[in-house]
Amino acid sequence: MSDKGGKGFTAVPKGKGKGGKSSLKEATPKGKDDGPAKSKKTRNVQFSSQANSGKGGQADGGAKKDKEPLQLKLENELPKGAKCLMDCEAADILQGVQDHMVILSKDPSIKLPVSFDRALQYTEKSTNYTDPESVRQVLQNLKTYGVTDGEICVMANVYPETADEVFALLPSLKARRIMLDDPVNDVLSELAKLKKSA
Amino acid sequence: MFLKTELQWNVVIPAESLDAKGLMLQKAIIVRLLDDFAERKATKDLGYLLALTTVEKIGEGKVRQHTGDVLFPVTFSAISFKLFRGEILKGVVHKVLKQGVILRCGPIENVYLSSSKMPDYNYVPGENPIFLNAKSSKIEKGTTLRFIVIGAKWLEAEREFQALVGLHADYLGPVSGAPSASMYDLP
Repeated sequence: MSDKGGKGFTAVPKGKGKGGKSSLKEATPKGKDDGPAKSKKTRNVQFSSQANSGKGGQADGGAKKDKEPLQLKLENELPKGAKCLMDCEAADILQGVQDHMVILSKDPSIKLPVSFDRALQYTEKSTNYTDPESVRQVLQNLKTYGVTDGEICVMANVYPETADEVFALLPSLKARRIMLDDPVNDVLSELAKLKKSA
Repeated sequence: MFLKTELQWNVVIPAESLDAKGLMLQKAIIVRLLDDFAERKATKDLGYLLALTTVEKIGEGKVRQHTGDVLFPVTFSAISFKLFRGEILKGVVHKVLKQGVILRCGPIENVYLSSSKMPDYNYVPGENPIFLNAKSSKIEKGTTLRFIVIGAKWLEAEREFQALVGLHADYLGPVSGAPSASMYDLP
């Protein structure tokens, strides 16, 4: 793993550059020279140090070159065995843990991770659906059209009003818009019924 | 995005806890696991560890040669939170600088939004600095923004993530009441 502690958002691509697993372009300014020096032309900045994302970094600040589209390519980056959860599903689970903690907190040896509270607060702000399970079921229909789990979760979290919004925020679906337009519209009207009124 | 994963960790129980009866031993293992889990805080693969949901299996213990402790492999499910490139999320501004703003998103404190990724917004200095656009949409401390994640970096020493995000696409920007991007009201 390239935990080289580089400053700023640069990382060294893994696998010696010749297209190992990914086509990461390397960042130049730190003088690390693994891999080929495409350096001077492309001041590319790679943030994620997981090499599996096939998308190289985007140039930050000005150079006009082929920008890799900023798309969700979750499946390449998910750890093995991990499943995506929608915010509303996570909210249910975290709230359940919180309820248990009320009882368990009497035992001082039991403690929760630091991030738990912040994550719970975050999900409380985003719970806009009455029934997470139904939301999941409605969105599962899109899987038959090749929509991935990650895209489904983002769609639910975004709480979209229109199909335009969905395709704008998930450019990975735009390419298949013709095929997906109707199903997405159907799903949106179903989701609208499941939304909590403010 | 929230992730649910099944993990297998080794839990070490010191010899002193071992003369307890069966159930107490299980409790000791689970408490120890919770402890280790809480202490880990975050990992590069899973993101921020939030909570243990279920313990699936506690394997057979192996005695460690020199210390007499016993090592139990425990299989369990946990929830974590991680940012992915291309994901759409919401965060709250907690610092406004000339170069951009810093947001908080769930457990992540350091989410950077550069002014170059805030198209049409201009910095307005002052005691309470803000970013303002032509349509009078304000970005200030406490504003909730919907953004796209450009990248995330794992800092091994601090065991946390930093993220770089942008507003440079449609339907991104302030939410709850702002005229430009969104029509939602956050509760």
